[in-house]
Amino acid sequence: MAVEGIGARALRKEDKRFITGKGQYTDDMVMPGMGFAAFVRSPHAHAKVTSIDSTAALTMPGVDAVLTGDQLVGDGIGNLICGWMIHSKDGSPMNMGGWRALEPEIVRHVGQAVAVVIADTQAQARDAADAVEVEYEELPAVVDSVAALQPGAPQLHPEAAGNLIFDWEIGDEAAVNDAFEKAAHVTRMEISNNRLVPNPMEPRAALASYNDAEEHHTLYTTSQNPHVARLVLSAFYAVAPEHKLRVIAPDVGGGFGSKIYIYPEEMVCLWASKRVGRPVKWVSDRTEAFLTDAHGRDHKSEAELALDADNKIIGFRVKTVANIGAYMSLFSSAVPTYLYATLLSGQYDIPAIHANVKTVYTNTTPVDAYRGAGRPEATYLVERMMETTAREIGLSPAEFRRKNFVRSFPHQTPVIMCYDAGDYDATLDAAMKAADYDGIAARKAEAASRGKLRGIGMSCYIEACGIAPSAAVGSLGAGVGLWESAEVRVNPVGTVEVLTGSHSHGQGHETTFAQLICERFGLDSDSVAIVHGDTDKVQFGMGTYGSRSGAVGMSAIVKALDKVEAKAKKIAAHLMEASEGDIQIEGGELKVAGTDKKLNFSEVALAAYTAHNLPEGMEPGLKEGAFYDPTNFTFPSGTYICEVEVDPETGTTEIVSFVAADDFGKVINPMIVEGQVHGGLVQGIGQALLENAAYDENGQLLTASYMDYTMPRADDVPSFNLSTHETLCPGNPLGMKGCGEAGAIGSPPAVINAITDAIGNNALTMPAAAEKVWSLYQSGSKEAAE
Amino acid sequence: MDMNGSHRIPAGRETVWEALNNPEVLKACIPGCESLEKTSDTEMTAAVTSKIGPVKAKFKGAVTLLNINPPEGYTISGEGKGGVAGFAKGSADVKLTEEDGETVLTYEAKAQVGGKLAQLGSRLIDSTARKMAEEFFSKFSEMVGEKTSVASDDAEVGRELDPGLAEEAKRIAMEDAPGEVMHALEDAEHAVEESLHKAEQNIEAAAGRNAFGGPMVWGLVLLGALIVVLAIAS
Repeated sequence: MAVEGIGARALRKEDKRFITGKGQYTDDMVMPGMGFAAFVRSPHAHAKVTSIDSTAALTMPGVDAVLTGDQLVGDGIGNLICGWMIHSKDGSPMNMGGWRALEPEIVRHVGQAVAVVIADTQAQARDAADAVEVEYEELPAVVDSVAALQPGAPQLHPEAAGNLIFDWEIGDEAAVNDAFEKAAHVTRMEISNNRLVPNPMEPRAALASYNDAEEHHTLYTTSQNPHVARLVLSAFYAVAPEHKLRVIAPDVGGGFGSKIYIYPEEMVCLWASKRVGRPVKWVSDRTEAFLTDAHGRDHKSEAELALDADNKIIGFRVKTVANIGAYMSLFSSAVPTYLYATLLSGQYDIPAIHANVKTVYTNTTPVDAYRGAGRPEATYLVERMMETTAREIGLSPAEFRRKNFVRSFPHQTPVIMCYDAGDYDATLDAAMKAADYDGIAARKAEAASRGKLRGIGMSCYIEACGIAPSAAVGSLGAGVGLWESAEVRVNPVGTVEVLTGSHSHGQGHETTFAQLICERFGLDSDSVAIVHGDTDKVQFGMGTYGSRSGAVGMSAIVKALDKVEAKAKKIAAHLMEASEGDIQIEGGELKVAGTDKKLNFSEVALAAYTAHNLPEGMEPGLKEGAFYDPTNFTFPSGTYICEVEVDPETGTTEIVSFVAADDFGKVINPMIVEGQVHGGLVQGIGQALLENAAYDENGQLLTASYMDYTMPRADDVPSFNLSTHETLCPGNPLGMKGCGEAGAIGSPPAVINAITDAIGNNALTMPAAAEKVWSLYQSGSKEAAE
Repeated sequence: MDMNGSHRIPAGRETVWEALNNPEVLKACIPGCESLEKTSDTEMTAAVTSKIGPVKAKFKGAVTLLNINPPEGYTISGEGKGGVAGFAKGSADVKLTEEDGETVLTYEAKAQVGGKLAQLGSRLIDSTARKMAEEFFSKFSEMVGEKTSVASDDAEVGRELDPGLAEEAKRIAMEDAPGEVMHALEDAEHAVEESLHKAEQNIEAAAGRNAFGGPMVWGLVLLGALIVVLAIAS
């Protein structure tokens, strides 16, 4: 097999088992004597739990136990927490309400668990859960974040008066006020970002067991970061001490952020397995996933952009209310603050920015990071503002953006971020050329001749990935450092195992990570194995989210490879009696430059382990570990251009072309990067056109199945036109920036900008359902007629 | 959900009022009503079972009557519990007016559903409840009057719950995610079966004196509608 190194379109090694149905997911795991958990959930959005009667349930066949919140609290199990401390602008810490894995007193969203049944089979557990009689006393509920802040709104948590968790700000308010006083033009918009449900293909699951002789717990679970799960479960929830808890995240079928967090169900399985003395398995059904997987987005904002007479942006003011849901999920506080407001400068040189963010409790499912996490909200806001402003001042959207692009690096924005490298003109040019942007007038005319409304919209996004420099995030309130670790183990026969703290749940790490090793040593990829997802096998690591596995996880591997290479060269030089500096690695061999002396990589590996003839003082073995802490965020950027045709009779939108020109820095495997962009674009287009988590005014989730929550399908999207432009990231050894979220971040504003261009009415909100588009077009044309 | 309509019943107002107070008439007219008994002047128990396709279920409810003004009308509020299937509650204002020796029954109802009913069936509740209300009034008119003459805002009701449409919705959903939908449907069916286990428990319904009529019926009809929803989902 040919060596498939950096830049090769290597086929995914993991696909053999996935395509042939041999993947091993949590639900595939079987333990002797295991029981099954089924949760008793509240049908009310806000209610007092007045009684829980499990008498009938306990007499049903196969039922082992019915456990409630009182027992959980009695066993000293801690509350679920949010791991990122945010302070309000007055300096006070955020107001976090208590969240118990099983609620004994007051339920705060539909679907919250109040009890769990453990039984011999899943069916028995579910039957018995139905038989648990829970009496509730209903309380008034509030769903909308702005309504929750109003006086007299139903109150969720005693800790958070007025449902306000924090009232946070960033940027220089006085400077922004000055800018608006001097402004020649001001654009104002109200912008909302719709609530989404993550919908990974594999729902959450857990299988927990307890060995009472060893006092040791094992938890198989659908996690994006098993080490963090173990840390949080032991340090905060006191379910088990860290050294007595093994967390394994085997094959995981997608996460999109929703599997970062510690949820009640997994924790309850862990606790219950000890309490009932048998392994306990739980697998979420799809409706449970809709009700309990952390949702995404749900922002309501007011934005104002100030321009000088030359159409340069001089100030940007944003006020956002972020709906956190009923409880603060693990990273929920960071998403609408440091992952959102720090990106409000976009690709533009804006001297003054001020953002105020209020986060609010409501009687809805908790909201946390979902693919993009804060950056889609920022990008949507900035890029809707840019397009709208361009229309208002009569400049082309491209020209207005170009006028304000950042062009010198490093560039310090007024909102913390320091952009290290980029070339925004390059991706804008590439996208405009690929989209034939200048030919839109002719295409509009042609579409009009067919009775269709054609529109074009662009989005120049920037995001911050590679999270993150540990000291920096620590100073901003993070409870953990966000470095990554790697261990490279060269076996005596010359094969290589790489243990990574990153976790693959669809990203293809087993392929791309191996390409680094193939490149370095000239090995074929069959000689390389990537090991991840097991706290007993892998040294501590921080997991996968925020497009960090390449920029941070692979950088750690590079550091470990450097050490392995150095030692291998020392050994080779010693064996071939050459100078270390003359050793070159090429095609799986270590050669002495300028001679025909060479050793196979496997011979050097064997020599390291036989240790018969090593340089004086050298330890045997060929295994090295490294921790990599990034020096800065990375800043992927690009331009997306969407072209649509709207049917004025029905309001139906067809995306006729979509161009994505991305700058991800160094690309290791273009095929996998394209796959990531495709997936991200489809999710972003799904948000723009179709997806919406809808609650009624009483807090009932109306979209809790695929009958009512519309996921994008293949026929909703065109064949994408992709290209990449490489501006290397100076902050990490490979020059990588990250590509996992870009598609979902950059695409929604491009779609909405295109539709609003087509229908001539800018008041469109996501999702752009046909009825909404039709109504806006009708009212828009009426206005035009008047 | 809001539902309103009016039905012309070919009988005098006093006759209609009396019929609405006759448990035997009501039992015969409420789709799927197995029993309906006065337990006192102000209370009764009822069991509403609905069987559509393979699914049978029984709901229990509690109904309170307000603003009683015989024979002109009243307000009723009711709540039905379907166990794990969720709950439904609502209220209705009902008026009886005389026109040309016949009676026009007008109702304005508000309902809220929760739990699985909301999550899986909210889109179908509306048309299903209308369909069941229509069934009730048709039969009631038959029993009370000599002939049926329904004048209704809901003249289109018959086709609003087009079984073909429901099938279509199901088919589309199945295409989306067959496994998950099947799972969800199994859940719903399971929930309904669970309710059946409670078949021995009678529905508890409190109703005002002289007031087993329209709104009470509406409450029960709503319960029946919920069952229909589950049946459709299966």
